[in-house]
Amino acid sequence: MAMLVAAVLALVSILSTRRLQKIPASRLQNLLELSVSALNNYTVSIIGHGGEKYTPFIGTLFIYILFMNLLGLIPALKSPTSNLTITASLAIVVFIYYNYAGIRTTGIKAWFKHLLGEPIWLCWLMFPIHVIGELARPLSLAIRLYGNIFGEETVIAILAAMSLVIIPHVIAVPYQLPMMLFGVFTAFVQALVFSSLTAIYIGLAAAGHEEH
Amino acid sequence: MILALVAGIGVPIAAFGGALGQGKAAAAALDGIARQPEAAGKIQTAMIIGLALIESLVIYALLIFFLLLGRLPATSQILSLIK
Repeated sequence: MAMLVAAVLALVSILSTRRLQKIPASRLQNLLELSVSALNNYTVSIIGHGGEKYTPFIGTLFIYILFMNLLGLIPALKSPTSNLTITASLAIVVFIYYNYAGIRTTGIKAWFKHLLGEPIWLCWLMFPIHVIGELARPLSLAIRLYGNIFGEETVIAILAAMSLVIIPHVIAVPYQLPMMLFGVFTAFVQALVFSSLTAIYIGLAAAGHEEH
Repeated sequence: MILALVAGIGVPIAAFGGALGQGKAAAAALDGIARQPEAAGKIQTAMIIGLALIESLVIYALLIFFLLLGRLPATSQILSLIK
């Protein structure tokens, strides 16, 4: 299901960028330009100057997670993100990517020195603390997304099972509608939080050392 | 039976702490917007992200609740129905 979402999004992007014109003539291109410029502004506002090269990653992450979350609100389907495997794999990719971005910008020595901490005689204490803190970041990203979407789905399922049945198997009073509306909001907020935390981690790792 | 009691008391305690934290965050955000209405967009974005981070701690407690719920005798069947 997650790969189906990825394939559909990729297909839409490829089909709509086939005949790009300088002044957009089609509504789809207009919509895409709007979203790309909004994501670009958002990413640059978090990371700073060199933020444009990270916009594809963060924008893709945002749109992908948003669509995967929203998929679970369609009555017969289940979100891919309500599975710990998928959110954990996204978090691992983000972890590897922001460390790679940090190493590519400032070099391996500076990255390791940052882990050792400021007063050099305290490095035996700061190193384990920093390592655990670094490992806690992808863990919290994965569990936050998983817990929110899985909890949302479970509440909707329980409310739907509790609905007042008027004609058995045909009509029931939908008790789960307010939670589904809240679920749309949660899908959006969780996608936003995941991608902005990624942007903040990239900003801390890559762009934070350029002022010296 | 103690397991049922403990499973039921974990999430409310987490929700209590989370509500206190989120109340402080929202109050600070509203103060900021009241001082400078032009910065309302940025403050709102930062507030939403802060609230989601605080809420994630409550979600951790909810996950433990689901794990414990799977071990209670009657509810494991309900959970398998939902999945």
